[in-house]
Amino acid sequence: MESFETIRATSVSEAMTLLNEPGLRSRALAGATDIMLLLRHDPHYCDRLVDISLIPELRKIEEQNGRVIIGAAATFNEVMESPLVQQTAPALVQACHSVGAVQIRNMGTLGGNVVNAAACADSLPALICLDASTSILTPAGGQSMPVSRFVTRPNHTLLPSGGLLLSLSYPIPASGSRSAFLKLGRRNAMAISRLTVAALGRLNDDGRIAEARLVTGSATPSIERLAAVEELLLGEAPSDLLFNLAARATVAEMLRLSGRRWSSEYKIPALEAMTARILGQVFPLAAA
Amino acid sequence: MPEYRFIGKPADRVDALEKVLGSAMYIADYFVPGMLLARTIRSTLPHARIKRIDLSAALKIPGVVAAITSEDFVNHGRFGYPVEDMFMLAYERARYVGDGIVSIAAETESALQQAVDAAVIELEELPAVFDMTHALDPSSALIGEQPADAEGYPRGNLLNQYAVRKGDPAHELSTCAVTLEAEYSTMHQEHAYLEPEGALAIPESDGSLTVYASCQSPFLNRANLVKVLGLPEGRVRVIQPVVGGAFGGKDDLMYQISAQVARLAQLTGRPVKMILPREESMIASYKRDAMQMHIQLGADASGRLRASRIHALVDSGAYSSITPFTAWRSSIHAMGPYRYDACHVDTDVVYTNNGYSGAFRGFGNAEVCFAIESAMDELALKLGIDPIDLRLQNCLLPCDITAHGQKLGDDVGLAECLDEVRRLSGWQHKHPLYTSEASKAPIPGELRRGIGVAALFHGISLGAEGADFAAGTLEVNPDYSLTLTSGLTDYGTGSRTTFTLIAAETLGLDPNRFVMPRPDTNSAQDSGPTVASRATVLGGNATRVTAEQLSQLLNQAAADLFACRPAEIIRHGELFIGPGEEPASFEKVVDHARKIGLALSSRGRWSAPEISWSMQKGQGKPYFAYHYGAQVAEVLVDTGTGKVDVTGFWAVHNTGKVIFPQGAYGQLFGGIAQGLGYALMERVDFDQGYLQATNFDEYLIPTSMDIPDIQGEFVEKPFSAGPYGAKNLGETGLVPAAPAIVNAIANATGRRIRSLPANLERVLLGRDLRKEGSSTACKLGLK
Amino acid sequence: MKYSLLLNNQRVEVEAPGDISLLKLLREYLHLTGTKEGCDVGECGACSVLLDGKLVNSCMVLAAQAADREVITIEGVCLPDGSPNDLQQAFIRYGAVQCGFCTPGMILAGEALLADNPQPTRTEIREAIAGNLCRCTGYQQIVDAIEQTSLSRKEKKGHA
Repeated sequence: MESFETIRATSVSEAMTLLNEPGLRSRALAGATDIMLLLRHDPHYCDRLVDISLIPELRKIEEQNGRVIIGAAATFNEVMESPLVQQTAPALVQACHSVGAVQIRNMGTLGGNVVNAAACADSLPALICLDASTSILTPAGGQSMPVSRFVTRPNHTLLPSGGLLLSLSYPIPASGSRSAFLKLGRRNAMAISRLTVAALGRLNDDGRIAEARLVTGSATPSIERLAAVEELLLGEAPSDLLFNLAARATVAEMLRLSGRRWSSEYKIPALEAMTARILGQVFPLAAA
Repeated sequence: MPEYRFIGKPADRVDALEKVLGSAMYIADYFVPGMLLARTIRSTLPHARIKRIDLSAALKIPGVVAAITSEDFVNHGRFGYPVEDMFMLAYERARYVGDGIVSIAAETESALQQAVDAAVIELEELPAVFDMTHALDPSSALIGEQPADAEGYPRGNLLNQYAVRKGDPAHELSTCAVTLEAEYSTMHQEHAYLEPEGALAIPESDGSLTVYASCQSPFLNRANLVKVLGLPEGRVRVIQPVVGGAFGGKDDLMYQISAQVARLAQLTGRPVKMILPREESMIASYKRDAMQMHIQLGADASGRLRASRIHALVDSGAYSSITPFTAWRSSIHAMGPYRYDACHVDTDVVYTNNGYSGAFRGFGNAEVCFAIESAMDELALKLGIDPIDLRLQNCLLPCDITAHGQKLGDDVGLAECLDEVRRLSGWQHKHPLYTSEASKAPIPGELRRGIGVAALFHGISLGAEGADFAAGTLEVNPDYSLTLTSGLTDYGTGSRTTFTLIAAETLGLDPNRFVMPRPDTNSAQDSGPTVASRATVLGGNATRVTAEQLSQLLNQAAADLFACRPAEIIRHGELFIGPGEEPASFEKVVDHARKIGLALSSRGRWSAPEISWSMQKGQGKPYFAYHYGAQVAEVLVDTGTGKVDVTGFWAVHNTGKVIFPQGAYGQLFGGIAQGLGYALMERVDFDQGYLQATNFDEYLIPTSMDIPDIQGEFVEKPFSAGPYGAKNLGETGLVPAAPAIVNAIANATGRRIRSLPANLERVLLGRDLRKEGSSTACKLGLK
Repeated sequence: MKYSLLLNNQRVEVEAPGDISLLKLLREYLHLTGTKEGCDVGECGACSVLLDGKLVNSCMVLAAQAADREVITIEGVCLPDGSPNDLQQAFIRYGAVQCGFCTPGMILAGEALLADNPQPTRTEIREAIAGNLCRCTGYQQIVDAIEQTSLSRKEKKGHA
């Protein structure tokens, strides 16, 4: 009668057992905000949902060996309210804050956002900008890989069948780094991203750019740091002219990676403006 | 102005308590024993011949109880007003994606889904029309019916034509110092009431039917049910539960749903309920019509308007619904609230296969107001005159004669609205500042401020659209409470509170004594449809008349008690005072009335003042009066991305006396919010007849973060024909909001947007971009 | 399956299918119809409830996820005698209610905010109700009602 069952796991090992029972199509369930939409159109999407959202170790946000580790079932609200994340990754705080509204942020999880890997997922550009990695448990053992490699293309990841994303982690940026995230939607809340940009930057003592990372979202099929843009910035002194050059290079990367689409005519100038703006936020101009 | 006890004073909505407690019963909240669930299978083609329907397999599924088609209704369920071109279920042809074809009743949702999958409906696709500009081409497929009906329409895909005629604008325009010619367009708009449609039919033991329906007009619903079910009027009772918003959108589709569950209930002898999921609601329901408007304006160098020539095309979609009325209203309002030496308006209404259009708050005026108020700003720029000054120089004043040849009364307060909104918004300072900022060379990606104005007039009630009357009843109950009914309903607008306050004021009794039961065709009096900003003036006057009659009865009883003449009775609070005696309480007077056998109940009816319109001459008195208003929007435009934030909003409306202030502000703010959505984000895209946005994830309406705090004010110039001097205001907040915002964007950027919505692409690039359309969302939504 | 939850401060048990949403469990199996269905895709907020004190869309939560947890619906907001609490009264007084369909969800969003942030700014109030669509009011009087409740609660606290 029921098209699937839902079982709450209380530990990671129990979850792994439940996820790997032979003969059943099982899926991990965290915030449910994506899965409920799938089930609405296909109630037979799976046989079993394993609710991992209340497993304490999957909700932890902590610092270990210079990395911030965020349990996969931590909600967007928990991430954005974490003092540790606020201190080390404003870009991720802003990205989580831009997701949906309170209701979605109370249920939706960072891990779910990564595993679902929607083209417009707000957390992905921020995580990739932070050089974040995934920690995955499979029946064969644990493994880790960068988020940028884990997410292969929209709605596709390298999560093995029967595997569970345990956590996301990022190295704490060097002191003096700034990061930011900008989102453009068609309204001011509950908006799907038209474009997002995440950036991280640091200046050296003589005011030149020592570190630069730039990632765009909803712009390219795969999300990655734009090395060509970052190289252009490194070693230079921040200036509006430089930001505009970098913004144009960002647009060129978008076109190289995704080709021209119906929306390109709009996204070219809009992404250029957003990129110049975010660079201005992470690289403060020396007082003129 | 006289001092009132209840009118214009703080009051609570009569239905707010049950709503905040969560106990208010909406249609989906009704669960009755033995109830079946129903669903309608809808066309997935925009235009098709229904070749074959085979429901035998569906009916064999366990739990499936009954299924109906158009064959199950009298005359195939034909209905519609003013043009009878719809069916309770599609007959012979389906004319839009979402047109209902078969309705099924079953015990459970899963049986229903299996039945939907098993039903065989063979459709043969027919050529369709999606571009309204080509609907009248001789080669276009025929959507409407032939031949013309008795009224003279429709004729092929031309549903109707309307005209306004004053003088010779072509000649005037040729001699004007400054002229403007431009083309504007608006899109369809989805009502997006938070409660989707639903109905529940209960067969009674005496063979009659009770239908609970989330509709606007229970009497029209009953009239249609009587017609298509073949039952006498006394055998069909329609009750309106609490309705979760309508904005004009809960008429035709609701009549179909009501008839479908009613017929299924008749056939099965069991209660049948149907609630539409959001996708089905958006796909099947009618929208605000889309319009294209070509405007020519001419003025002399000083800014005196001389002529306007307007040609408009209205997309009615697959059925007429009430579009002939909305289109007529748009033709009457197309020139805006201004004086002209000459004015011609020509409006063509056409059929297409883009869903269908019907009533929506603003009712034709939102569309043309966007066009004429944009054009006024463009003309102001050409003339080098401040946009508010240009409007003040030309706006209708008391006792002016309109382009329709109508002499106005002394209630006209548009100039006051414009003056006041200029003061409130800080226009004098901001407009020159933002205009000079916009004239500077842009810094890439900078944020720019802009401010814009729009004015409106809006004809009160139906106008020459139909019979205009309302009726009410009042009765004193054994416990000294009073039951008040009105045939005009409250689907969230607050009209029940307005009527209660009017009755309380008229009778001198506390508003808490009054009870207004749910609208019920068995107890209320037919008052025509609850549409077109009718409630306050029509229903309010009917309530006043009804209360006056009861007041006379009470005075008669008091006079008998005091042995004096009724004219000698004086009222103080709830007390009745006669000459030289102790005052009598209301209760005492009621007791005495009962003792002398005087029945304390009354029925009152109020008919609107005479109006007239000559379709041939394009002249007349289209409405008995107008509401006027002016709004100012302030925006912040991100010139890098095209993102627009509305940062300030001021609205001043000439409403006559405000009866229920809390409700009046609520109508104003809510209307402006819908207008803001219309201006910036709401888009009903039909691609080859397929709706692209079928739920709130894609169809975006403003959130609380998209609307600034609004400052509203009312110019309470009394309106002599209104109850206690009131005019209507339900639709008017929405109407000028979009042009005010788009004028503000133009002020900020120096770029004029002539099509709605002013979305990211239009603001940044000056033109829209459209993703390739698809039929997926519709097909998934109707599965 | 058999569900057990702490619903509006009462332990309830109910038999219902295991694959339904919390919204459906509340409306169809527990007969608490104050929680509304507006979109069923987590976009309108009409079905908002508090799950372990957090505001969630009950259409986006599986009933099984709510098992053995605390759920507050609009029916659990009023005072013990069934009369409206101060926020509900403010909704009435400030005109925050029109058609009323969004009202239960709005009130829960308001309660969730005030529990978290007793002295919100108007902008914070707007953000807290951004997941609750209202098509009637334009939100302004809803913001007024929540703001006024926060002020009166502060005053009461000051006197206590």
